[in-house]
Amino acid sequence: MWRTNLAVAFVVLGTLGVYTAVANMIPQVQSDVPEELVLSADVSPEELVAAGENLYAGSGGGCTACHGLGTRAPDILGTAGSTCETREPGKSCKDYLYESLVDPGAYVVEGFQPIMPDMSRTLSDAQIWSLVAFLESQGGEVTVTGADFAGSDDGPPPTPADPVTDGDAAPGDIDAAALVQSLGCTACHAYGASPGGIGPALSEMAGLELDYLRRSIIDPAADTATGFEALAGTMPATFGELLTESELEAMVTYLAGGAE
Amino acid sequence: MNEPRGVRHPFWQAVLLLIGSYLLFKFGISVLPPLIGIESAPVPASVVLQFMATALVGVLLYVSADETRWKQFKEPIHSVAVDADKKVLRTSMLIALPLLVGFLTYRQVSASVGAPPSLRSVHPAPPNRITFRGESMQLAGLENPLRTTGEMSEHLAAGSTVYVRNCMPCHGDRLDGDGHFAQGFNPVPADFTSNGTIAQLTESYVFWRIAKGGPGLPKEGTPWNSAMPAWEDILEENEIWAVILYMYDQTGWSPRTWEEEHEAAEGGDH
Amino acid sequence: MSESLRHRRAFWGVGLVLVAFGLLALVGAGELLAQDASQIRRYGDFPVIGARGAIWITAQVHLMFAAFVLGVPMFAIVVEAIAIFGGDKRYDKLAKEFTRLLLIAYSATAIWGAMLTFALSSLYPVFWSYLTTIFGPSMWLYAALFIVESFTLYLYYYGWDRWSEGKAKYGHWGLGILLNVWGTIVMFIANGWLTYMMSPPAEVAADTAPDQVQLWSAIFNATWMPINIHRILANVVFGGAIVGMYAAYRFLAAKTDEERAHYDWMGYIGNFIAIGALIVLPFAGYYLGREIYEFNQQMGITMMGGFMSWLWIIQAFLIGVLFLAGNYYLWIGMGRIPGAERFTPYVKYMLVVLVAGVIVWATPHTIIASRDEIAAMGGTHHPFLGALGVMSAKNTAVNLMILTTFLSFMLYRRANKIPVVNWARSGTIAQGAALAIAAVVVTFYGVYGYFVTAIVRIGFSVYQVLAVLAAMLLVVVLDVMMLRGAKSRGEIRWGQMPPRSQYALFVLAVTFTWLMGLMGFARSGIRQHWHVYEVIRDTSAQAATPALGPAATMISVCVLIFLSLVAIIFWLGGLAEKPAHKDPADLVTAVSRGGEV
Repeated sequence: MWRTNLAVAFVVLGTLGVYTAVANMIPQVQSDVPEELVLSADVSPEELVAAGENLYAGSGGGCTACHGLGTRAPDILGTAGSTCETREPGKSCKDYLYESLVDPGAYVVEGFQPIMPDMSRTLSDAQIWSLVAFLESQGGEVTVTGADFAGSDDGPPPTPADPVTDGDAAPGDIDAAALVQSLGCTACHAYGASPGGIGPALSEMAGLELDYLRRSIIDPAADTATGFEALAGTMPATFGELLTESELEAMVTYLAGGAE
Repeated sequence: MNEPRGVRHPFWQAVLLLIGSYLLFKFGISVLPPLIGIESAPVPASVVLQFMATALVGVLLYVSADETRWKQFKEPIHSVAVDADKKVLRTSMLIALPLLVGFLTYRQVSASVGAPPSLRSVHPAPPNRITFRGESMQLAGLENPLRTTGEMSEHLAAGSTVYVRNCMPCHGDRLDGDGHFAQGFNPVPADFTSNGTIAQLTESYVFWRIAKGGPGLPKEGTPWNSAMPAWEDILEENEIWAVILYMYDQTGWSPRTWEEEHEAAEGGDH
Repeated sequence: MSESLRHRRAFWGVGLVLVAFGLLALVGAGELLAQDASQIRRYGDFPVIGARGAIWITAQVHLMFAAFVLGVPMFAIVVEAIAIFGGDKRYDKLAKEFTRLLLIAYSATAIWGAMLTFALSSLYPVFWSYLTTIFGPSMWLYAALFIVESFTLYLYYYGWDRWSEGKAKYGHWGLGILLNVWGTIVMFIANGWLTYMMSPPAEVAADTAPDQVQLWSAIFNATWMPINIHRILANVVFGGAIVGMYAAYRFLAAKTDEERAHYDWMGYIGNFIAIGALIVLPFAGYYLGREIYEFNQQMGITMMGGFMSWLWIIQAFLIGVLFLAGNYYLWIGMGRIPGAERFTPYVKYMLVVLVAGVIVWATPHTIIASRDEIAAMGGTHHPFLGALGVMSAKNTAVNLMILTTFLSFMLYRRANKIPVVNWARSGTIAQGAALAIAAVVVTFYGVYGYFVTAIVRIGFSVYQVLAVLAAMLLVVVLDVMMLRGAKSRGEIRWGQMPPRSQYALFVLAVTFTWLMGLMGFARSGIRQHWHVYEVIRDTSAQAATPALGPAATMISVCVLIFLSLVAIIFWLGGLAEKPAHKDPADLVTAVSRGGEV
């Protein structure tokens, strides 16, 4: 009798186990709640700060990849809310933080490279305002309200007009040196005054095949330079989305020419 | 009783069947269809594993569906496990099996440079409505307005210009996803001539993909890895509709239509 | 009154009291809503598994029991009708044995239903009060019908022996039909509540006050009828599978040959009913899917192509297991039929068709591949397998699998019979031709589907289904006529089954229960982060829809809870018949002997 019971239990649990295992073996895709919809106009400051903190620490904003880690960007946790008052005379804390997020090149803290991406490319207006609220809460008082982004749209943010990324520009018209700065290449690659060290120096790419360079920018995992094997996979794979084709061509030509 | 031997023995039949199906799944699928002119490609390991699991279940059902066959099938296994004269074979099995399991486990967990396989939805779910240049557009039920207004030849000419200027570098002059830059991307650009892309989609879906590009892909299917730009900043609404007309015209596909309207049209015929 | 009866009524009493409490809670919650909405607690919390997990488990287990107590009466009356009109007393005994399992399962359903009500009203108070504002009257009706249904069940079971002869037997059978009518209405009402959450009527918007929603239009929403039909059929399959499992267990535990023969036969009936209804189920599913697409295209695409796309691969896999296990059971069963040897050579061809069908049906459209493999394929779309991953190929595969399973049944049926009518030979040829033509039609439209537009292709699946149904109907009619007065090659040796056939019945039941959980996840998961789709958002911390892995774990937990409780019910059923070894099915005899149960 016990034999039968055990065999039955084995068959039942085995069947359940196989189904559970198969469902867990495949790559998992969770349907997340769309963040930008969460914030309505009558949102409370606490909710804003909480949403901002999620973005700051999570993959949505990706801020912690630089801020607080290493020396590529200032550590702003705990201090941003108080320092923002004094950074730009005549500018309110809230405006200063907002502008720093959508136009990061405007107020680069001394001693740091202008490597931060424009957050409005990936975040909605409401999300950026919640980030501002979170930063204000770091040592200061939250002044952001739902009114700041009321009426803003839920869809992807409008891309600001940026002469460098104009799709119609020919490769020759593009200032690749400016691109190197604005895309944040110098955070890892030695170039000009930046020491680099995480990836090979840009000047070392002189004379490399154009195809190889293209591939290395769009699909960085494809090849890894000698001496940097341990750091393979560090370079973001998103440049294919950020660059227009003419920018890519300008960049490749620039690098092949020794980045000068 | 007359014992079946060699390939007539159920055990060896099962082994042969499994080897045969492995060869078919692993190599047959990629090699055989091109012989009769059907395109094919290497089969990913996950699919081979899935097919093999099904084949294994099928083989086990086959050998155990009949009482005598089941006994004969178990015979060699039983004999290796207990017979005195099979000691060498038994011992080597006892060594080889754990080693095999260990090797497979090692392969499974050892660190490698490749990114883990990802689940990519071929057709992500489109939103109900999108905002195109600040204007709200309802995607469901939306038709290509150019099909009912103006001269088709003019639209196609305009679409051709748009395509050559903007799309060709990646998607190629034959619309087969093999443009000049195509090899720089992984995954490669979409092949419009294949039956799996625009042939299965409504024009409004294609409009959404062109207008919103890689950045506009929904969250549910992340991680997306698309280099497709969001063309809404660069192309006018009519330019996108024109290039869609051009794509369908060149490939010979016709877009998927909206069901309700089809039924309404059918009802009208009767 | 014996101990056991008192216990059972006590169970019942507790169940009803719990339901009444739940309804009181709903009235209370409704009053709360009248207060300032910002003052009240929107969501409760549940230790360890969270509010969502608590609802998930209580709802799923309640649903499994509900499906059981709705499915079993359906074929209890069918089996009783066979006994009445066919005159075979075995069937009557079988129907009664089914019904005895029903009594205990009924109280379990009520208890889990009450737990679900508590969980909803305490963990989702605001949303619960919203639902009760709309559905209040129907909830009272539900409770009233539930009471009527339970009294009908008592009469049906306890009156079995009293009304066993003559006209009274027909009256008894009428009670069984009535029991089904009540059960079906109860299910329809509850379906109205949950389909409203999925597909609220178009006039309901985010700012519509719940007391402005018309009750009837809320119940009669886009997916209500499709779900009703789908669930009725699924309940029959489920009931058959669980009864098959019960019989399998009793078969394995049986000590005498008579017992073994009885439970072997019972398992066969269970499997027959389960697979028979399973064959029609895909058509009901297709209708439901179509309605979902029509209600909201985005919801449809999320379901079929979005983050749930792999769910359908798993589903195909599970249905493949059901088909294989069902056929396997029949094939092994041929070993106990004299004359079946002449059909065994065909088994391997049917197996090849089934395995090929499973392979095609479970071919993913969204292939899991590493970056290198994607590069080798030339994109995420495999040029050859991609063609197998679309509807044309899958419909063809599943229709051929259905035809093959049907053929298995027919061979099984024919195995020990020699037709005596003079047109037997041409009749058999006609049957074979009907099946062959259906297979050709299915394959033709499957292949032709690749050369036409999507909209025409969708129409093809209707032709395929019609061809299969027509062939099956024709073959059955011919078969019935041909086998009239047929000679026997020998009786079926009931009970002479190897144990592994019984494990196939277990796999069948477990798989079907799990599949039910999976489909439940699909149905409520496509709402994503909405309580009521595009009307009321889920703003709780657990609003994200989980991935397949965690969902599968959750489903397995529900299935385990359910099966453990079912095991207890089986054990109780066995306990009841211990004093009366002679007639295991007859509880009343045991009780009337004053048996301490």
